[in-house]
Amino acid sequence: MMEGQGSTWRRANAAFAIAAMIFLLLPSLIVIPMSFSDSELIIFPPKGYSFHLYQRYVEEPGWVSASILSLRVAIWTTILSICLGVPAAYALVRGNFPGRRMLAMFLLSPIMLPSVVLALAIYIYFVRISLSHGELRLVLAHCVATLPFVVVTAAAGIQTVDANIERAATIMGASRLYVFRTVTLPLVIPSIVAGALFTFLISFDEIIISIFVAKAGDTTLPIKMFSSLVFEVSPVLAAISTMLTLMSALICILVTFAQKGDAKP
Amino acid sequence: MTDSMGTVQEMVRLDAVTKRYGSFTALHETELSIRAGEFLTLLGPSGSGKTTLLNAVAGMATPTSGRIWIDGRDVTATPPEKRGLGMVFQSYALMPHMTVFDNIAYPLKVRKISKQEIRKRVSDVLELVRLPDLAHRKPKELSGGQQQRVSIARCLVYNPRLVLMDEPLGALDKKLREQMQLEIKRLHNELKITMIYVTHDQEEALNMSDRIMLMNGGKAEQIGSPHDLYFRPVSQFAADFIGQSTMLDAKILEVGDPCIVDLGASGQCKVKVPGANKDQGGKLVLRPETLRLITNDQIADGFNALSVRYKDSLVTGSTIKHIVELENGTELIVQELTTPEETAKRHEGRLLVAWPVEAGIFLDR
Amino acid sequence: MRPETREQYRIAVFALPATLFMLVMMAIPLGSVVWQSISDDTGLSLAAYAKIVQSNLFIRVTRTTLEIALGATLVAFFLGYPIAYFLAKQSTKRQTIWLIVILIPFWTSSLVKSFAFVVMLGHAGILNTFLGELGLGPYKMLFNRIGVMVGMSHFLVPFMVFPILTNLRSQPPELAKAAAIMGAGKFRIFRTVTFPLSLPGVVSGALLVFILALGFFIVPKLLGGRQDVMLSSLVDFYAREVFDFQMSSAIAVILMATALLAAFLLSKVRGGASILSKESS
Ligand SMILES: Nc1ncnc2c1ncn2[C@@H]1O[C@H](COP(=O)(O)OP(=O)(O)OP(=O)(O)O)[C@@H](O)[C@H]1O
Ligand SMILES: [Mg+2]
Repeated sequence: MMEGQGSTWRRANAAFAIAAMIFLLLPSLIVIPMSFSDSELIIFPPKGYSFHLYQRYVEEPGWVSASILSLRVAIWTTILSICLGVPAAYALVRGNFPGRRMLAMFLLSPIMLPSVVLALAIYIYFVRISLSHGELRLVLAHCVATLPFVVVTAAAGIQTVDANIERAATIMGASRLYVFRTVTLPLVIPSIVAGALFTFLISFDEIIISIFVAKAGDTTLPIKMFSSLVFEVSPVLAAISTMLTLMSALICILVTFAQKGDAKP
Repeated sequence: MTDSMGTVQEMVRLDAVTKRYGSFTALHETELSIRAGEFLTLLGPSGSGKTTLLNAVAGMATPTSGRIWIDGRDVTATPPEKRGLGMVFQSYALMPHMTVFDNIAYPLKVRKISKQEIRKRVSDVLELVRLPDLAHRKPKELSGGQQQRVSIARCLVYNPRLVLMDEPLGALDKKLREQMQLEIKRLHNELKITMIYVTHDQEEALNMSDRIMLMNGGKAEQIGSPHDLYFRPVSQFAADFIGQSTMLDAKILEVGDPCIVDLGASGQCKVKVPGANKDQGGKLVLRPETLRLITNDQIADGFNALSVRYKDSLVTGSTIKHIVELENGTELIVQELTTPEETAKRHEGRLLVAWPVEAGIFLDR
Repeated sequence: MRPETREQYRIAVFALPATLFMLVMMAIPLGSVVWQSISDDTGLSLAAYAKIVQSNLFIRVTRTTLEIALGATLVAFFLGYPIAYFLAKQSTKRQTIWLIVILIPFWTSSLVKSFAFVVMLGHAGILNTFLGELGLGPYKMLFNRIGVMVGMSHFLVPFMVFPILTNLRSQPPELAKAAAIMGAGKFRIFRTVTFPLSLPGVVSGALLVFILALGFFIVPKLLGGRQDVMLSSLVDFYAREVFDFQMSSAIAVILMATALLAAFLLSKVRGGASILSKESS
């Protein structure tokens, strides 16, 4: 009887958990068949299948240029946040200087701040200093949001590197910078790559900060999607959503398995 | 090692070195002088400050006060990478992303030595540590013992005159550890390096060292040869930490050569105590292997004898340990060589435990 | 300077570029938002806050924000806990696979998810079509509270799952085993051992979810109705439609203060950010 109660409990839990996970996965999945619909209306399941929504994505004005802008911004954001974030993570993990805790909290604080607050602050700031380069505005603002993420990921990677290895290198005569370059960096490359991929994704999908700081002409893909959702829901969104979902899925799977392979003894 | 003047050269000197972490003192005003070519072991329980002292010499922890000299140079403010010494860690600290070859070549590359020279020196040192065929493996493809050999090779390849080892054999099993002790000793003799070696294994310390610095609570308890530490401990802590011993409460009754010492209900005995005072209290330390079990008719001159009750025997291979009890209930361990007759003989009758007068050690702290 | 101190400065230098960047790009802008909120043309003035406190709009929106944030936290807990509990029971290998199932929606653009919900929950959407075939509905699930709650909890569940899962994984399995040996059934073990022990994970997950929920902007805007306006939207409204930067700054400051308070509580629960825990050697 105890057995029976145990397995009922376990089965109920499994059923509920799986249902909840299907709920999580459903929106990402449902856009895929819709993107291959041959109808101009949004109907599910589609009556017939074709690539014409993808064709419209390419042909309708704005979508491709918005994607290219997002891509450029995401790439620059990733490069900038890695260059700033990885050394900072190193200092936070290996250093023991006064104010280290405060500094960590400061660098990580954007994680805890509502995006709208950051967006407003940076928007007002850009207006005040009259920074008019549209792409630069986006990159700098995105970087504020992604930097803490890079710091956390890189710090986690650096923590797994035995500090004695660095000490050994130092005692053998290597300078701190040389140790960082030849020992620490190669060992944390996997976590840096993971951090870079996710940073790219965050920036590519960023919407709230972009809405505030982007100049009128600078329409990123999320901004264009947002206005399409607000004004008239275009079926092209299904094609775009499918591509974005596949990009996210690819990056997740890549990172998961890259880290798995790395963890093997 | 002697220089042209014929005086013994000093490799390391610590002058009143103190290390504090906040209000906690990990190392108290330590003085130490190490001869060139000496094998000095830091021995002591966990937390006694061995690593702290080693780190101070290596430059990874700057002393709160005091000065450190290496090879006649004041290095107190010199960063570790400029001290030119070698260090071997318990965790091997090999770079996991480099091959054995690249690991060993690392300090040479730092020194901008030519490619050919590097190749030659790496293969020489691999020969020296008896690992010639593994140059292209990654560290994780090696056994623990092999990894430690690589890390020793990496530390020797640039010919540091001073090598520090922090429990290098701590992660190895007993058999491998004994083998590696011999290897390290051999390398020390062949290369004439000065060695500071940390361990908390007293046997290892006794086997390998020229001198042992016994540490306790951030202080040097005793510095001396293994023989000194074993036979002339200066404190109860030293006597207890090195070798096996039994300690009996004792008080000096009569000053003389030897003194007469009162052991309470167990009786009295003679002990040589230089500079003793009457009524001075302390402990009498007896090493199990200096004790003998005898019967009444075997009492000899120059020996102390106390009557005991036999309790049990443990045969441990070549030796046998008898557990006996003094009149006041204190247990003593007597260690003798195993012989077939001896195991069975003493269950009956009045027994005495005896030891040569000079084998007893009286310690008042 | 002591060599050790010099060494520490040398390490600290690595953090300098990031620190300068954050000072210029975050601290100064945030500082000027705070300044903006307490000053007007004449100088220091708490007029904006006085106006806010008396504004019916603000009070209503604050209540809505708290309601939605609390509701979403609750829903995220009821969906997230069973997932975490289920995952914790899986072998490491299976856990990895299941985790991908959670990570993919987690990393999917919020616009994609909003689009999908528009399609699913709309008047002629997938769900209503399906219900219609069963002879039910149609129900209004979009542009009202239902839409907001569905969209937000969907977004927030993973944030609930991760801390709870971490906690459950760190529970020693012997505890449950010991309870089982003493004859406790599976549910009883859960109720008396596993769940109470996982409370720190639950609290930190709930706080995190609540902080995030407070700042939501896209989901209520796209899936909610006029009565589901949250504080973030109000910031946006004052800043980009009315161009009243003083008001929008004041609301942003209130939002920021609330988030920082919750973050402070979170750090108390977690005992400090893990990035600062150092293995000593
Ligand atoms: N960075 C530090 N901060 C604070 N206290 C420290 C630090 N490093 C060491 N200590 C303290 O100093 C004392 C001596 O430590 P040390 O590492 O020298 O001991 P040890 O003799 O090497 O011990 P073990 O045999 O365990 O390695 C310990 O009580 C330790 O807690
Ligand atoms: Mg130590």
